[in-house]
Amino acid sequence: MKLKEYLKDHLLFLLFFFFLLGILFLLQNAFKCNQSLIFATLILLSFSLIITLLFDYIRKKKFYNSLLFNIEHLEESYLVLETITEPTFYEGKLLYQAFYDINKSMLERVEKYQEGMIDFKEYIEMWIHDVKIPLSSLTLMAHNYQNQLDKSFLEQLRRLDNSVEQVLYYVRQESVEKDYMIKETSIKKVLGKVALRNKDDLLEANIDFLIEGEDALVLTDSKWLEFILNQIINNSIKYRKIKIASYIKVSIEEKEEKVIIHILDNGIGIKSSDLPRIFDKSFTGENGRIQRKSTGMGLFIVKNLCQKLGHKIKIDSIENDYTKISLIFSKNSYFDVLK
Amino acid sequence: MKKIMIIEDDPTIQKELSKLLENSGYQSMILENFKEAKKEILKNAPDLILLDINIPYMNGEALLQNLRKESNIPVIMVTSRNTEIDEVLSMSYGADDYITKPYHPTILLLRIEAVLKRANASVDVITYKELKINLKKGVIEKNQKEIYLTKNEMIIFSYLLNNQNRIVTRDELMTDLWNNEEYINDNALTVNISRLRAKLKEVGYEDAIETRKKMGYILL
Repeated sequence: MKLKEYLKDHLLFLLFFFFLLGILFLLQNAFKCNQSLIFATLILLSFSLIITLLFDYIRKKKFYNSLLFNIEHLEESYLVLETITEPTFYEGKLLYQAFYDINKSMLERVEKYQEGMIDFKEYIEMWIHDVKIPLSSLTLMAHNYQNQLDKSFLEQLRRLDNSVEQVLYYVRQESVEKDYMIKETSIKKVLGKVALRNKDDLLEANIDFLIEGEDALVLTDSKWLEFILNQIINNSIKYRKIKIASYIKVSIEEKEEKVIIHILDNGIGIKSSDLPRIFDKSFTGENGRIQRKSTGMGLFIVKNLCQKLGHKIKIDSIENDYTKISLIFSKNSYFDVLK
Repeated sequence: MKKIMIIEDDPTIQKELSKLLENSGYQSMILENFKEAKKEILKNAPDLILLDINIPYMNGEALLQNLRKESNIPVIMVTSRNTEIDEVLSMSYGADDYITKPYHPTILLLRIEAVLKRANASVDVITYKELKINLKKGVIEKNQKEIYLTKNEMIIFSYLLNNQNRIVTRDELMTDLWNNEEYINDNALTVNISRLRAKLKEVGYEDAIETRKKMGYILL
């Protein structure tokens, strides 16, 4: 709040006051009052004006300045009402009440949307469980009648399962509640599950699956980690180079402070101009356009899940050469203490 | 023959699952009366139970908790609920394993086998004709002659042994190998099988493993 602006705001009042002061001066002169009395009246009146204005200015400045400062510095500025005290002057009280009402109505609206989101999320989760029942039946039937069915039948079922799962994790990473549970998890055990899930695709595509390094324990949710690794390995399979000996090499590196999983493939790689946006929502890039099957959601969800779990993810690639994704897990000494 | 009880409310899965189990040499039974689930289980005394979480009347977790008060029958939870929390809960209620739907049928069979083995205090030495097979040491033995098998060869041989006189597909062998963190490719499987054959030849069982064209292998 600036004094100049404040005075400008009271310009009419000030002009009228000095106008009256002028008339008073002329009147007192006309009545031939004592000169000293005239000056004393003028000074007293001016003084009282300055005091009143200054007091009003300081009172308002205190309130408005803290209001503006908090709005600017709060991450969620709509919470500003919680940070200020109700002002003592009338206009401030009106403003405060208005803010309060606006806030309340907004919160009610947000809550309505939130409830809608939760309902929708619950419905999607339920729907996915429902879909998994016929999926299981079909998988079992495909196995029981494998002599009569083509191998690609199972491949399509796996594709369906992967797509359904992507939706499930999209819903989970968007939701506010905690859907995960952190515990000590063996990397090789999770890798084993991912490998088994992709076994047929890897063998079909003639991709060698290699694991290097000793097993390490990390603090994570094993189901989420399984989804993350599955997405990464699915990408490596999808974007492999045709007609060369393909491989996916997973190495586990344990350091004092952290554990790193590197997933390296010798696939078609990623254009350097696409790299910075690779984790963006719906980003498909050059490779996605070639394949046309890409939704651009996989790595976006992966990145968000990593963020929620507190893991870092890095990508490094040279077009037509390799892609390397690194997942970094920090070791938390707090948990060591608990053990 | 081991008896496996299926507790699952979807009729198609019931049917196909029981077909899968019977094809793999188990006797299967389907729980019909969900109201009296525990009573039915105790009356039929299966060797293992495949239990879904979403079943009528009582959920699977509650049934498991209830059952554990009276019986130690091995239970594998088979469910479409796939969060870590669900799994940890089920295991804490006394499940022996936890598999999410949709599962690979061969993997389900491997897990069933593993749970049954654990329940029956695993045997280290099994025999095939006059051959002694020491699973822990990775050795086959006949008339004081010892031959070492590699880990892969042992996985293949013991799978064939467990499924003797039945055609075993290459996919089943591959699944078992990958399940044991041996991520080998098709060529390597062929090489491993011919090495295993050569080793069996040394102890006089040249034609023990027969190839059935387009189907797989059979241990006679």
